[in-house]
Amino acid sequence: MPCPYRLRKTMIKTIKDLDILKKKGEALLSPDKVKVAVGMATCGLATGGGEVYDGIKSALRETGADVILAKTGCLGFCQMEPIVDVWAPGMPRLTYKQMTPRKVKEVIAALSSGEIKKEYLLCKSDSSGSGLDNVPAYDDVPFFAKQERIVLRNCGSIDPDSIEEYVASDGYYSLHKVLSEMSPEEVIEEVIASGIRGRGGAGFPTGLKWKFAGGAECDTKYVVCNADEGDPGAYMDRSVLEGDPHSVLEGMLIGAYAIGANKGYIYVRTEYPLAIKRLHVALDLLRKNGLLCENIMGSKFSFDIEIREGSGAFVCGEETSLIHSIEGTSPEPRQRPPFPAQSGLWNSPTNINNVETWANIPVIMRKGSKWFSNIGTEKSKGTKVFSVVGKIKNTGLVEVPMGMTLKEIIEDIGGGIPGGKKFKAVQTGGPSGGCVPKELIDLPVDYESLAEVGSIMGSGGMVVMDEDTCVVDVSKFFLEFTMDESCGKCTSCRDGSQALLEVFTRISEGEGRENDITFLEELSSAIKDASLCGLGQTLPNPVLSTLKYFRDEYEAHIKEKRCPAGVCKKLVSFYIDPEKCKACSICAKNCPVNAITGAKDMVYVIGQEKCTKCGICFDVCPAKFSAVTKISGKPVPKAESKDLDNIEIASS
Amino acid sequence: MTNKTNKTVGAAMVLGGGIGGMQAALDLAESGIKVYFVDKDSAIGGRMVQLDKTFPTNECAMCVVSPKLVDCARHGNIEIITNSEIESISGKPGNFQITLKKKPRYVDEDKCTGCGSCVINCPVRYQVKVIPDEERQKVKLADDVKPVVDKIIADNKSEKGALMLTLQAINASYNYFSEDVLRYVSDEMEVPLTTVMRTVTFYNAFSLKPRGRHTISVCMGTTCYVKGSGQILSTLSDILDTPVEETTKDMKFTLKSVRCLGCCSIAPAVMINDKVYGHVKLNELSKILEDYK
Repeated sequence: MPCPYRLRKTMIKTIKDLDILKKKGEALLSPDKVKVAVGMATCGLATGGGEVYDGIKSALRETGADVILAKTGCLGFCQMEPIVDVWAPGMPRLTYKQMTPRKVKEVIAALSSGEIKKEYLLCKSDSSGSGLDNVPAYDDVPFFAKQERIVLRNCGSIDPDSIEEYVASDGYYSLHKVLSEMSPEEVIEEVIASGIRGRGGAGFPTGLKWKFAGGAECDTKYVVCNADEGDPGAYMDRSVLEGDPHSVLEGMLIGAYAIGANKGYIYVRTEYPLAIKRLHVALDLLRKNGLLCENIMGSKFSFDIEIREGSGAFVCGEETSLIHSIEGTSPEPRQRPPFPAQSGLWNSPTNINNVETWANIPVIMRKGSKWFSNIGTEKSKGTKVFSVVGKIKNTGLVEVPMGMTLKEIIEDIGGGIPGGKKFKAVQTGGPSGGCVPKELIDLPVDYESLAEVGSIMGSGGMVVMDEDTCVVDVSKFFLEFTMDESCGKCTSCRDGSQALLEVFTRISEGEGRENDITFLEELSSAIKDASLCGLGQTLPNPVLSTLKYFRDEYEAHIKEKRCPAGVCKKLVSFYIDPEKCKACSICAKNCPVNAITGAKDMVYVIGQEKCTKCGICFDVCPAKFSAVTKISGKPVPKAESKDLDNIEIASS
Repeated sequence: MTNKTNKTVGAAMVLGGGIGGMQAALDLAESGIKVYFVDKDSAIGGRMVQLDKTFPTNECAMCVVSPKLVDCARHGNIEIITNSEIESISGKPGNFQITLKKKPRYVDEDKCTGCGSCVINCPVRYQVKVIPDEERQKVKLADDVKPVVDKIIADNKSEKGALMLTLQAINASYNYFSEDVLRYVSDEMEVPLTTVMRTVTFYNAFSLKPRGRHTISVCMGTTCYVKGSGQILSTLSDILDTPVEETTKDMKFTLKSVRCLGCCSIAPAVMINDKVYGHVKLNELSKILEDYK
């Protein structure tokens, strides 16, 4: 299809055109007046970013202040959302955390009288700035200090819908360099030399993949960006697409040039509506500026990108399944070989890479393979983005060099476990990964080390679990997931996951049998051996790794009918300690099934027959009383509703 | 005296050689009654032999059927009459007269060993019967639906991988697929209905049942789960008085679980239509729903 904008005069053809765009972008990024930018990625919006944006808008209208209002993507420190960046000439960039419409009004009011509101500040971009000595600089904030941001380089600092701001951050210079100075072979050699490996999980060397696809002889070739980020607990792809879509697109353009592709597809989950919207805007901007369609940047290279949405099937993240889904045929994986590099989309050579891999490419091209290969470990080069979530103080996206230990990520960057609880394990790699227990917390994070302990890198989800998490329950959760998402092609995966789940259900309900553990191990290895695609081959990982490190918990469930973490409903009862109850009646008011009885000055009692074990009473009981307790593995003491005074007399 | 009451007399006829028929025939034969076992197909076995698994226990269908097939064939009291249909029945309970019409088989049943060579060598095997266009019944869509679906098909038909694009666009407009729409798409796009069905039933985002005005998606990703989204889902189910993956009676809400909204930092998360709610607490749920009532 010819480009609808091909007659426009603003097409970028030479480096001078790019420089003009860069100047415009720099003026937008660092204007000569005050600029306020709100983090408006999905997590920012969900925590009230939209209201903050509107709040600033109305505050500006009221005060009539001459301030530019803009939006950015996600800075990665999701705990602190909504985040607002304030730029004032002559000052470091100031980052405000956890803003509300009321708080921004205060900030704006201070700004218009020429002052800086120091409350609510998270950090400043560098150590300068008079009168801001007490405010930590960006590099001094523990969450950011140990990070090395390559993929997330622009997330949270530029407007994702502005191509100028991306160019001002040295964007599309790599593409220009590649198109004007390098042959496709040289580009592939550079990527091989950098040592970058696929960030989608399996860790196949990207350069080699390109070489296979580049070497295949065919008139039509495709590149595909896999943005079907299905792993529960991972959202780095969403964040990159929402915060810096151009970095992915530039990577795809370079990759397409290298392997000789003329068409690209981005396969995005339909659950990411904002990412899809921003990609459409970005693609339109590319076409308007002559960076897509025919004769890109005045060269002979022509390439176009189309967006395809997924429809909610986890298996479509597997590459052959993804190909089938784009083709509109039944999205089941198929046997490899032939690999997609030989025969992929519509039987043409196809190169598929993950969002994060693509976003790395422009930087590698700009700074060189040598620079990139100096980061990371011997076999795992560069950085990796992790979504550190779960029972941890600082949740968010962190990008660290490969080889950093789990301990550094969890304790130094993540800030440890909240509420004085003990760290138990960290789950990496989603439903295909495993649990790494606290004994192995000094493990360096790279592809090989994680595989050695029975987990995988995966797409980078890192779910931290504390002592209140039951490993049987978590493994059961993953099995429910994989059973549901198994496409049904291979019997071992389809029926095996179901058989595994049956055993898990039995164990979690206190019906576990003596030989269940051996059975789980045998069945797991059978599923691993007999399944066709990654989903089946890795689905027993959560089971095997928890069996390896937490066998005692399984045994407690099976032999003592006890859930040590107090999670498995059938094995837990809630009980109000009559010694501690102060008859505040909060539990009774919140109980959805009216199972709690009591009256003024009377100790409250949970009717065990009525109780659905929802745990609301446990959550709402004031921490200073903590009268509601969980009992597992032993019978619940009989309790009568007694007069509070009597008990006090009795206990005194 | 006891002899007289226990003596079995007469014979029974079992019509239909499916799994139910086979069991009936075997039970009767076991109690000493002569059974005429009639099926209109060329072999007994019925529908179950075509299945891979049976619902809900996921048992292997052939493993259930094949022993019974063998038992029926071997049982001295059972006489299998295939390729036959009833022509007339007369008499009353206890004394029926039944006339069967046995269609020709052109193969001597006593000599055939079931080797299958004749089937493989038959020159007209696998000939597909195509219904001519004028005999085919086209699906008619309602007047308000047809133009919309027609436009969607016209927009996407020339694209590569058109089926997915078409289905997604229809899903965006109607939230679900009615049988007529699916048949219509199959006809117009010249894609077999089985392929359409296979695609529609594969993806979580597609539904064959009408869905409510607002879709509540409770995230069941790992983080949300660890932070209690299971409770949120069951509490919502209680509040709305509808099971998960179903729609309320007033067609206002559809409650479903999704696999990770990618909002793990603000877990547990719930998405209503396109708006994401983070850090959702159980006792806030009713308040959130108020905005949509």
